[in-house]
Amino acid sequence: MWTYDKKLQYPVKIKNPNPELASLIISQLGGPDGELAASMRYLNQRYSMPWGEVTGLLTDIGTEELAHLEMVAAILYQLTRNISEEKLAGTPFATYFTDHTTGIYPVAASGVPTDMKYIGVKGDVIADLNEDLAAEQKARVTYDNLIRLCDDPDVRDPLRYLREREIVHYQRFGDAIRIAQEHMDSRNFYAYNPSFDKGWTKKN
Amino acid sequence: MENNNHNASNRCREQREALRALDFALVETALYLDAYPDHPEALSYYHALVAEKEKLLGVYEKNCGPMTIYSNRSRTSWDWVKGPWPWEHDAN
Repeated sequence: MWTYDKKLQYPVKIKNPNPELASLIISQLGGPDGELAASMRYLNQRYSMPWGEVTGLLTDIGTEELAHLEMVAAILYQLTRNISEEKLAGTPFATYFTDHTTGIYPVAASGVPTDMKYIGVKGDVIADLNEDLAAEQKARVTYDNLIRLCDDPDVRDPLRYLREREIVHYQRFGDAIRIAQEHMDSRNFYAYNPSFDKGWTKKN
Repeated sequence: MENNNHNASNRCREQREALRALDFALVETALYLDAYPDHPEALSYYHALVAEKEKLLGVYEKNCGPMTIYSNRSRTSWDWVKGPWPWEHDAN
């Protein structure tokens, strides 16, 4: 189970509303490389991992992604506080406003609602961990792009924090794949799928 | 009275910030320990952080309200539902 801590992982304190910026940053909520996809990817992959180190990493990184989902939502919430109809008309946020007002709904920047097609759960250690390494880099690039498009220091600060976490997670998933390979047949990592086959062995 | 409330909420914000810093170090150490569970320095760093967190969390929850649903201290009021909530500007 999970327990909610009544605090953000890192502070979000935005002085000036900016709905146009919100309509870009929302991709990290419901987009292909967003935090919702990240948490669902890791938390669902962990059940078929045969080693505690890897299961632990997927559990703890998946949980941290939920905290990041909340941070992104806090950014969106604060960027769309106290805005008037006049300020909205003609901006890219107006289309979102039509469907969701200022509620937080997971869509990509393009407006496409979130989709579990964004994640992979293959039930294979090598395939899943390689997906996770790529996912962290794709999320890092998305934060790079958002930081390029954003000049408000109140927003850049939490975005930079989130970007940094993608890099740390990438490092830990690198550890995970090394640990997995140490447990597997080093002459042929693909001889067995240790998530499924009972007969896998460690050989030199 | 208003001034007291203001001071109290500033104090809670500062303590929350200190807890955040500790929890960040704890998460980072936990991820490291997941990958390196037999690392003695990382494990003793973890225990030092946990001890510090327990102390600070006790003070925070006494003055500022529950951090989780398991720590509502009052027997007369359900403080859990009192704001600000984490995503609000004034909580950060």
